[in-house]
Amino acid sequence: MNEDKPSPSSDFQGLIKPPSFFGLRVDRQSLIKHFFTGSAAVTILTLFLIMYSLLKEGTGFLPTYQFELKVYRQAGLEFCDFIQKPLTENTALLSKLNRAVNADTATLTQKAQARRDALFLAKGRIEEKTARLREAVTEALETAGTPPEKLAQARQALTEANATAVAEEAFPDVYNAEERRQIATDLTAMQPDAAEPPAILKTLSAEFTEQDRIAKEKYAGFLEAVEAFEEATEPIVELHDGIAELAKATKEAAVQQHMAEDAKAQLLAAAESAKTPEAKANFLKEAEATSLEAIDYKGKIEPIVAKLPEYEAMIPPYVAAIKAAMEKVPQKGDTKEATALINEVRKQLPKHLTHAEQSPALMKAWQWDKPIPLIQALTAFLFGGDWITNSSWQDFYGVVPLLTGSLLIAVIALVIALPLSVAAAIYTNQFATPREQELIKPFIEFIQAIPSVVLGFIGISVVGDLIKETSNIPWLQWIPGFPVQERLNMFNAGLLLALMAIPTMFSLAEDAIQNVPRAFSEASEALGATKLQTVFRVIFPASLSGVFAAMLLGLGRIVGETMVVLLVAGNRIAIPDFSDGIGTVFQPAHTLTGIIAQELGEVSKGSSHWQALFMVGILLFSISLFINFVSRKVVKRFQLPKI
Amino acid sequence: MTQTVAPPSVSSSSSSSVAASSATTQPLLKINEVDFAYGARQTLFGVNMGIAQREVTAFIGPSGCGKSTLLRCINRINDMIEGARITKGNITLGNVDINHPDLDVIALRRKVGMVFQKYNPFPRSIFENVAYGLEVAGMKNKKVIAETVERSLRSATLWEEVKDRLHESALGLSGGQQQRLCIARTLSVRPEVVLMDEPCAALDPIATAKIEELIHQLKKDYTIVIVTHNMEQAVRVSDKTAFFYLGKLIEFNNTMTLFSTPENEQTERYLSGRMG
Repeated sequence: MNEDKPSPSSDFQGLIKPPSFFGLRVDRQSLIKHFFTGSAAVTILTLFLIMYSLLKEGTGFLPTYQFELKVYRQAGLEFCDFIQKPLTENTALLSKLNRAVNADTATLTQKAQARRDALFLAKGRIEEKTARLREAVTEALETAGTPPEKLAQARQALTEANATAVAEEAFPDVYNAEERRQIATDLTAMQPDAAEPPAILKTLSAEFTEQDRIAKEKYAGFLEAVEAFEEATEPIVELHDGIAELAKATKEAAVQQHMAEDAKAQLLAAAESAKTPEAKANFLKEAEATSLEAIDYKGKIEPIVAKLPEYEAMIPPYVAAIKAAMEKVPQKGDTKEATALINEVRKQLPKHLTHAEQSPALMKAWQWDKPIPLIQALTAFLFGGDWITNSSWQDFYGVVPLLTGSLLIAVIALVIALPLSVAAAIYTNQFATPREQELIKPFIEFIQAIPSVVLGFIGISVVGDLIKETSNIPWLQWIPGFPVQERLNMFNAGLLLALMAIPTMFSLAEDAIQNVPRAFSEASEALGATKLQTVFRVIFPASLSGVFAAMLLGLGRIVGETMVVLLVAGNRIAIPDFSDGIGTVFQPAHTLTGIIAQELGEVSKGSSHWQALFMVGILLFSISLFINFVSRKVVKRFQLPKI
Repeated sequence: MTQTVAPPSVSSSSSSSVAASSATTQPLLKINEVDFAYGARQTLFGVNMGIAQREVTAFIGPSGCGKSTLLRCINRINDMIEGARITKGNITLGNVDINHPDLDVIALRRKVGMVFQKYNPFPRSIFENVAYGLEVAGMKNKKVIAETVERSLRSATLWEEVKDRLHESALGLSGGQQQRLCIARTLSVRPEVVLMDEPCAALDPIATAKIEELIHQLKKDYTIVIVTHNMEQAVRVSDKTAFFYLGKLIEFNNTMTLFSTPENEQTERYLSGRMG
């Protein structure tokens, strides 16, 4: 090019883009643009891949579960469970009665037991401290030809060490002065070759045995009643175990056959795609060899159903026996605990007896060949109250206990987090000085930086004990649910999840309040409203939609959180007992997220359990999607005017 | 409350020429040698003027000349801004220093209402907007509230247009209606003075004409101070006009006099469009 005097034509040559980039007509601008387009596309694609894989693994669950439920019915396991249900109830009631009896007998034996056990512990500690010297004495005794003076020396050393150890021991004040002296003498004199344990120990043991005997005598009636309660079930248990074994054998045969069918189908498929005729013939031969004997469900169910009249005949004597046993149970225990337990049993007993009496009728109506439609597999999943896996009897994948756990924990967390974060947001945005703002905001946002596993530690080690100790304070007993039985419970998890949700909710709520036009507060103050009136009558109402969206996004975070609930919620797979009212929050529970994290690593790929966990994942995904959708709607619906 | 003795209405200050013609009547609002600063930045310099009762006073001047700042000093809405304060001089309302440490700001704001540049009704119903001032004053009597709402809406010439939809959202009204609603809201607490900060800046000519008509009517009962960028508007609505430039009051006179025969050369240049 001519720099000095460009010809007119060369001046316009620059309008045509040079073919850069390997001759492709792609300039830098469009390259960058395509890079960003690509990134957005990859993000969306990833989302679709996640949804696809969830659905692919999850939807296979329904036919699998349908088959399992079909076998459960046809093999007669369902039939057996009609009997099992009253038996399970009986066991629960029995355990309560046993706890009541133990609470009562403990009043008599407790002291003697404490005296005996404290001494045992002390003896163990002293022996541990003087272990080396004891060894020396034993060695001296075993070695032939040890001079007697050396043995005496060893014994002397041991006695001295014993004396020091005894002096270091702080004995509880369950012993009087005389006993203390005797304990000191006896324990100091301990030698490894002594034929008898220390005399005082024998005395205390005897004392306990005696007290135990007295207690058993005093509560003989109660103990007998409990025993009768247990014995009443014996014939039923025997009958149940008999037919259960038959049903299980049928089920196992069915499972075997199902596996064989799968294997055959695979062989045939392999034969289809076989490369050589020989290989194909081989596969076909193998497939032929797979025996597929149809299972005679009808023949196998008959002996099981035949037991029904026998079972029906057992029910009236059982009910009579239970009623008789309950007659012998005292009206009132000698301790508060026992009384409470007895009352619980009395309350639940009528329901149990009705269940027992109704069970034969249900069993008569039951049909082994009633088909199970596919939709029933879905309803059994969504509304099933049992999540039982790896059972030798029957696996159930009912999601209700997990769902209630997740929702209840989320509600607890929300109830705690919402007022705190909104109040903090109002204070920070409206009342705090700029200096305070600079301090508060980073601190609250810092909470987000705490790894959830670490929060889990805090829940286990600090919050759990704190809740339990607080719940034992006498003047706090009016709070429902106190005293708390479990350290790890839904309240504990909810508390920590609230802490995790607060930064999100605080930041978003603060933004929402910040976004309220300044013109509103100016108008309000110009009308003679105080700062407080302005905040609560104008600014906060105007920010409500944003605050609501903040709440929903916080909820999304809470529902999806895994680690804390896995560590802290107590992981008991059962629908919470809502009869405790608000106290229900102190019960342990398991969650949708927790179950996936806990079980997915341990199940074999493609099994029904594996598929069920993916279904839980789909459910979780739908819940999050729904929450997100609602929060978007809310924000759109209540948008503020731009001023 | 302490009463400050009114200084002479005509100042001897050389920079601010205060020449209110109605010097015979005692002005309601007196601005005495006021300096004002946002933190370290001073925006008003020795402003000195008196505003008479039941008159419309217009503040004009180029952007950033301090006219809005002075307006916002009169009901102390500037208190909401961190570091904003009067550094010298004082403003008195009926001889009461409005920056007196014992002054009840809430009561002051009920006496001195304000209408803002951009109409800003609360996101509530029309009725609730007008009733707000009474509510925050602690008024519980529903009948009195309803009467006041009607009276205020009538004063703002809005009643006929909204009487059938009082409980619908105020945000559904047109811009001009929203601004008249804001005026009704201001009138509901029966102020003495109404401050208007460019009330028509966001409105179309028809809505503007309605507001100007309204200002004419309100003059009978209220003392009005209006900041405007529109010089025709100042001529149309105001009795007196004050011209500000760079934080100083340059000229203050009867509107007709100021526009026809400005005394100050800067005023003359601004009015003829050669400055600002």
